[in-house]
Amino acid sequence: MEYFSHSWLPFMYQYGLGGLLFIAGIIITIRSGSLNLNKTSHWRWFWTLIFGLVWYMCIHASLNLAGLGLVNFAFIIMGSVIIVSIFGAYWVLNHKID
Amino acid sequence: METGATTFHSIGTTTDWVVMVIYFIAVMLFGSYFGRYTKTTSDFFFGGRRFSWWLITMSIVATGVGSHSFVKYSAKGFQHGISSTMTYLNDWFFVPFFMFGWLPILVYSRIRSIPEYFEKRFSPSARFLATILLLLYMIGYIGIGFLTLGKAVIPMLPKAFVLFGITFPVTLMGAIIVIAIITGVYITFGGQTAVIFTDLLQGFILLFAGFALFFIGISYVGGFDSFWNLLPTEWKLPLADFNKPPGFNFVGIFWQDAIAGSIGFLFMNQGLIMRFLACKNVNEGRKAAAVNILFILPLSAIVVGNAGWIGKAISISSPSVVSPDTSPDQIFVVVANIVASPGIFGFIMAALTAALMSTVDTLINATAAIFINDVYRPMNRYLNSQGKGRIISDKAELVAARWASVAITSLGVIAVLAFKNFPTVYEAHGYFHSTLTPPLVVAIFFGVFWKRFSPAGVITTFVGGVALMIIGARYPAFFIAPFDHGIDMNPSRPYSYIRALYNTIACIGVGMLVTFTRDIQDRLIVKLKQRASSKIEMTILSILISLLMFLVIIGTGDIATDTLFTVLIVIVVPLLTVYFVEYKESEATKGLIASSIFDAKFMFKGSEPNDEVGEKIEVIFKIKDQDDSKIYFSKEDMKRMSAKSGDLVYLCDKRKWLGGLKSIHSVYGEPHNEEGIVYINQNQSETGLFSGGYLLIAEKEM
Repeated sequence: MEYFSHSWLPFMYQYGLGGLLFIAGIIITIRSGSLNLNKTSHWRWFWTLIFGLVWYMCIHASLNLAGLGLVNFAFIIMGSVIIVSIFGAYWVLNHKID
Repeated sequence: METGATTFHSIGTTTDWVVMVIYFIAVMLFGSYFGRYTKTTSDFFFGGRRFSWWLITMSIVATGVGSHSFVKYSAKGFQHGISSTMTYLNDWFFVPFFMFGWLPILVYSRIRSIPEYFEKRFSPSARFLATILLLLYMIGYIGIGFLTLGKAVIPMLPKAFVLFGITFPVTLMGAIIVIAIITGVYITFGGQTAVIFTDLLQGFILLFAGFALFFIGISYVGGFDSFWNLLPTEWKLPLADFNKPPGFNFVGIFWQDAIAGSIGFLFMNQGLIMRFLACKNVNEGRKAAAVNILFILPLSAIVVGNAGWIGKAISISSPSVVSPDTSPDQIFVVVANIVASPGIFGFIMAALTAALMSTVDTLINATAAIFINDVYRPMNRYLNSQGKGRIISDKAELVAARWASVAITSLGVIAVLAFKNFPTVYEAHGYFHSTLTPPLVVAIFFGVFWKRFSPAGVITTFVGGVALMIIGARYPAFFIAPFDHGIDMNPSRPYSYIRALYNTIACIGVGMLVTFTRDIQDRLIVKLKQRASSKIEMTILSILISLLMFLVIIGTGDIATDTLFTVLIVIVVPLLTVYFVEYKESEATKGLIASSIFDAKFMFKGSEPNDEVGEKIEVIFKIKDQDDSKIYFSKEDMKRMSAKSGDLVYLCDKRKWLGGLKSIHSVYGEPHNEEGIVYINQNQSETGLFSGGYLLIAEKEM
C-alpha cells in the first residue's frame, strides 16, 4: 500500500501501544479505587476519557484519509463522531449513578 | 526583503515595531495590575488555589503553545508538512493516570513542589536527588524558551546598530539577554496571579493571531483548495514516516514526545502543575486538563504549524517569494511578513513573542517555587536545628522568591549555550526531553501507582538509571540500537528521539529490579547490621560507589568497564539506601499513592470527607468580629448544600467572568438562622477580595 509507512503503520503503532497504555491507566485507576464508577461524577469522567481516545483516533484517521485523497470519507468519519458525541454527551449528562 | 537566503534580518516596518511596543506595554501593565493580588508566597506561586477551569484552560494555552513554540513547529511544518502537529495530538494516553492519580494526590497532600512529594513518599535523600534533576529540567526548559525567543526576534532586528557612534553587532545571545531582562520584570514583581491573568489574555490573542495568519495565508495562496492541492501527499499526512529520516520520524517522536514528553509535561512540569493547583478544586483541574487537551491542543496545532505549511505551499507555487532553502527556524517570521500587511505583522510577532515569554515566565516562577520549597526552606530548617537559623516571615520568603526568579532567569540565559548549536530548536528540545525526563517520570509513576516502590527503588532509579543513560549516550550503537525500530543512526547526533525509549526502559528496568528484590536486600541488611563495623563498611562502600559514578560520568573509555561500573552501582545503591534510610511503607504511602486517595482526602480535610452531593447557593456576606477561620451559614443554606459543621467550603464572587479571582476556601462553622447570609471576618473579606453589594456563591468542597 502506497504511503503505508507514512499513514496507517504509525496510526496502528500509536493507537495500538498508546491504546494499551490508556486502557492500563483506566484499569489501574479503577482497581486502585481512585476512579470510582459508582460515583456519578467519576462515571461521567470515565466516558469523557473514552471519548477522548476515540476523538483523537478519528481526527488522525480522518486526516490520513484526507491526505490520501479520500476527503469524503474523512468528512463522514468526523461528522459521525461529532453526531454520536453530541447524543453520547446528552446521555452521559442525564445519567445518574448515586 | 531578501529571499532565497538562508537567514534574514530587518524584516518588518516601523509600524510593526510600534505595534509590538504598545502590545508589550499593555501586557506588562495588565500583569502588574493583577500582581497587586499577590500578598503571600501561596499567592505568588499558586495564585491562592481559587480559579475556575476556563480561566486556567486559557492560561495554559499561552504556556503550552509558547513552550511548543511557533518557531519550531512552523519549521517542521515547512520541512515535513501537517505531521508537524503530531506532538500536539498524542497527549491523551496518560490522562487517566493524571486525572485520577497524580492530580488528586498533589492537591490533597498539599504538596507545593514535586521534590516535596519525594520526601513525603520516600525520604529526604530522594527529595534531594529529585530537586537536582528537576532544577536541571526546568532551567534547561527556560534555556530552550530563551533560545526560541532569540531565534524569533533576530530576523526582525538589523545586523548591527549604532549608538553614540559605536557599532553594536546584533547577536543571538545579546538579543536573549535583553529579552531575559524584559521577561524578568513582571514575573519578579507580579507572581503567579499576574502570570495566570497575563496568560489568559495572551491565550485568546494567540489563538486569534494564529488563525488570522492561517486565513490570511490561505487567501494569499488562492484559497483552501489551491493550498491543499499544492502540498505533496506526504506533506498532507498527519503522522510522519515510521522510521525515517533520523531528524524527524514517527516512532522516535512517539517515544520522545507521546511517552516521555507527555508524561513529563503533565506530571513533572512544575509550571503546568502550579496552574492545576491554582484551580479551586480537583474537579476543576480535571476539566481544565480535559478541555485543553481535547479541544484547545488541536486548534493550537494549527495555530503553531500553519506558517510552515503555507510557506511550503508558497515555496512550490512561487519559489522566488519563499525559497525552498529558507532557514526553517525563520519560516514563521518570513511567511507572516509576506502574507500580513504592516501593523498586522507586528501584531502577530507581538503575540508570538509574548506567548514565548509567557512560557518562560511560568517556568521561572515554577523554578523559583522549587527553590523556595526544596532548597531555601529545608536549608533554613536545618540551620534552625543547628541553632543558627532564624524564623523566616512570609514577607522575607516573598523577597527570596523574587531574588530566586532573577537568579533563575540568569541561569536560563546561560543554559542557552548548551542548546544553541543544535540544527533546529525542535531537535534541541527533543534531545533535551529524551534525556532528562525518564528518571523522574518513572520515579513519579512507580511512586504513585506501586505501593512496594521504596526509597531504594527511587534512589537507584535516579542514580543507576542516569548511569545507564550515560553509557547509552556514550555507546549508542551497542545500547540504543536494539531499540531503534530501523532508524538510521546519525553519527553526529545519534538517535535524538528514540533514545527516549532506551532511557525509559533503563529506568523502568532498574526500578522494577530493585523493587522485586526488596526482600533479599532487607535480609542482607539485617544480617549486615549485626556486624559492629557495618557503619564504617557501608560508609566506605558509599564513597566507592560515588567514585564509580564519577568515573561513569567522565567515562573510562572502555565499554566493558563502564558497563561493569554501572552494574555495580545498580546492585550496591539499593543496599546502601536500605541501610541508611529508615522507611515504613504503611506510613509513607498513606495518602500518597493512587490506592489511598480516600486517606489523602481525609488528611486534607482533617476528618471524614462529606461526598454527599449538594446545591450551590447564593448568599450575601456580612463581616463579624471573630477570631476563628470558619464561616457561618444558616441551617437552611447548609441543608441545601448538604453540608455539616466542619466540612470544607468554597465561597466566591458570583460574577463568573472573574473566574474565581475573588474567592476563599474555609470551613463551615455552627449554623445560624439568617437565611441567605454568610458571616465572615475582616481578614477573609480582604483575602477573598470581596466587594460589598455583590452576591457570593457558596459550594461545599468535601
